[in-house]
Amino acid sequence: MRAYYTYFKLKFITGLQYRAAAWAGIATQFFFGFVYIMVFYAFYKSGSGNLPMEISKLCTYLWLNQALLSLVTQFYRDRELFNLIRSGNLCYEFARPKNLYFMWYFKLLGQRYANVVLRFLPLLLVTSFLPKPLNFTFPVSFNAFILFLIALLIGSFLVVALSVLYPIISLLTMNEKGIVNIFVVVADLLSGIVIPIPFFPSFLKNISKFLPFQYISDLSFRIYVGDIGIYNGLIGILIQIFWLILVIIIGYFLMKHNMKRVVVQGG
Amino acid sequence: MSFIEVKQISKTFKLAKKKSGLLEAFKSFFKREYFYVKAVSDVSFSIEKGEIVGYIGPNGAGKSTTIKILSGILNPDSGECIIDGLVPWQNRREFVRKIGVVFGQRSQLWWDIPTEDTFLLLKDIYDIPDFEYQKNKEDLIDKLNLKDIINIPVRQLSLGQRMRCEIAASLLHNPEILFLDEPTIGLDAVSKQLVRDFIKRLNKEKKTTIILTSHDMSDITSLSKRIILIGKGRVLYDGNLKKLKNKYEDEKYISIKTKEKLDLKCTGLKSKKKSVDGYDLVIDTKVISISDILNKISKRVKIDDVDIENESIDNLIVKLYEDYKI
Amino acid sequence: MKYYFRALSLHLKSELEYRTSFIFSFLSQILVFFSYYFVIISLFLRFNNIKGFTMYEVLFCFSIIQFGFAFNEVFARGLDKFDDLIIEGGFDRILLRPKNIIIQILYNESDFVKASRLIQAIIILIISLIKLNIKWNIFKIVCIFLMLLSGILVFFSLFLLAASYCFITVQGLEVRNVFTDGGKHMAQYPIGIFSKGFVYFFTFIIPYAFVNYYPLLFVIGKSDNIYYAFSPLILFIYIIPCIIVFYLGVKRYSSVGS
Repeated sequence: MRAYYTYFKLKFITGLQYRAAAWAGIATQFFFGFVYIMVFYAFYKSGSGNLPMEISKLCTYLWLNQALLSLVTQFYRDRELFNLIRSGNLCYEFARPKNLYFMWYFKLLGQRYANVVLRFLPLLLVTSFLPKPLNFTFPVSFNAFILFLIALLIGSFLVVALSVLYPIISLLTMNEKGIVNIFVVVADLLSGIVIPIPFFPSFLKNISKFLPFQYISDLSFRIYVGDIGIYNGLIGILIQIFWLILVIIIGYFLMKHNMKRVVVQGG
Repeated sequence: MSFIEVKQISKTFKLAKKKSGLLEAFKSFFKREYFYVKAVSDVSFSIEKGEIVGYIGPNGAGKSTTIKILSGILNPDSGECIIDGLVPWQNRREFVRKIGVVFGQRSQLWWDIPTEDTFLLLKDIYDIPDFEYQKNKEDLIDKLNLKDIINIPVRQLSLGQRMRCEIAASLLHNPEILFLDEPTIGLDAVSKQLVRDFIKRLNKEKKTTIILTSHDMSDITSLSKRIILIGKGRVLYDGNLKKLKNKYEDEKYISIKTKEKLDLKCTGLKSKKKSVDGYDLVIDTKVISISDILNKISKRVKIDDVDIENESIDNLIVKLYEDYKI
Repeated sequence: MKYYFRALSLHLKSELEYRTSFIFSFLSQILVFFSYYFVIISLFLRFNNIKGFTMYEVLFCFSIIQFGFAFNEVFARGLDKFDDLIIEGGFDRILLRPKNIIIQILYNESDFVKASRLIQAIIILIISLIKLNIKWNIFKIVCIFLMLLSGILVFFSLFLLAASYCFITVQGLEVRNVFTDGGKHMAQYPIGIFSKGFVYFFTFIIPYAFVNYYPLLFVIGKSDNIYYAFSPLILFIYIIPCIIVFYLGVKRYSSVGS
């Protein structure tokens, strides 16, 4: 375990060094959040009946989304792993006496946490001082907050489990861009980053029920704002855990299969 | 006035400090420290048309900074540089037509397509007339033996094949000056020889002025009569390679194999070091002859084996670096 | 310019070397782009207008800005990826060539699969123009062409500014995303729906409003002001200082190094 922790720490520390990138990220995320909110606000102001969420809850949801983006989006990809695959320096990784799947898993986890740690506080602080109803608000209750933290943590494990799949897939297909990109776009769309799941057309809402993506962040954010109650939240977390285990198992065995293949091919 | 005239150029870089550790990473998030590095200082030399000059020095000595200044990529903080009547960094477009540059560690060829496609692009970039392009290309294909490799995607070429293509690509426009930055790095002995022979021939037939940097001293010795040695940003030696060799030629290396302890002090013995199974000695043959010293040794200990060597050029360079403390 | 088109054709040739990858990437680009207008369409399924603008008006606005961005991705991607050129030292090679620096940068990279976005943007533009029942006249036709051109210019200018920044440092370059990706995202909608501060910023500092807001008002008949029809011309002036700033950056590069 120690080795994996070291990988995590190494990536975490490296990630913390990108200070300018972090400030830039905060600015970008703030801006994006603002644009999203302004668009929704304009829609809300234009008068219409069918609203799945109060504007204040929606705004908090969207700010959480921006502040924790690195724990949420699939789009965020690790250049290092992909370069490794492209350049053929992968043989070094294969030579390490540790499980490659978990090595990559903890690398990605460390990187994502470093990103979030640098960014989330300033963003949430600033946005909580915005005029109502555009501001970031406190959680709906203390219990909801605890549940939110748990769901967020498991969600972050899930997102990493999904994103380890991408280098594995591209190793399998020897095609970096195409297939993985298709996967990423669909995953991001269905996880509610582009628009929150309550705003989906109903057919899409039904499809996404049977997929893991809405358990990445949508669950935790909606628990936070009170759109999902404690009871349903707990059930959601159970489903989350189910997906987490399933995705890790799939990734683990895909990687194993991969390694055999690559070894047979001689690199 | 010489073809290439460099007068007292200096260049200083400002770099950010990087520290390791979690706390430091947090600290540097808010505040950052800088330090200054003098890459070259007061470098002067002149090179005549048609010369081949070996530009040598350890890593970080300022070689590539000088090459960048000479090729117009970088302008110096102070000093003058005039090449064939032009200041490299002032008349960029006009100047770069005169030069060709090969960076051994970088590639100008398009990775996924055959070399000939890159050639066609270079033809357009340098506005090479059709007739001249055909003539140059065929000439280069012939001399660098590219016939069978020019139509293969670059990614499938071996390092040696690729380097030959790189060199050809840099010469399509008939430059008067060729900068070669480690052109033989990573090549096998045969490819190295091929590249060297070609460079010699180019210099002889087209009178191309060549400035060459390399860490492989055999490149330098086989190509150039003159070397410029640079260390810590300063020119330490500029002159004939042979003279430099002669300076150290009187020294001989003697390694003695013996199980006994050798106690020896005499004039002409420059150094004595204990090795795994005996001693390594350096003597000055102007003071003491080889037979004399062997005689002295054999009187003291039983010699199991003996090996006498001339100073190799690599050792010579190591010694030069040591002498100049770089 | 011959060498520019030669280089582009070489890019295409390189990309076609990996045929399956190219096809999949092309498909994935269709999907990415779809996800963009999917958002607009799903929101309009729930709301019937945004501050008085209808879905097709918004899609018109959207297609203009997306066209401009995708055009740059295909024909000037090297400028967008200029930081790589600086980091990997490829810019040195450009300085060693006797041709215009900016044009050499443009073709340094290209992403032909983004052409799929270009095509989709045009399709959406045509669909929304048909659905909008516009009373056509010659000014409106000219205006639409000016909009498309200015859409190209606005991103070109912004990429130039971002590239100039790379000469100082490549750290924190992500800030450029605020103005390019963020601006693109915002300018998908008629800028008038946003608050005043935004409108001023994106009119006078980064003139997205002249690309697809004021001319939009003219084309869809919300305004008769003929100046609005020609407001995209402002981008032709805007690009000049951007070019100057870039060349100042080049000067700095050759005195400071990378």
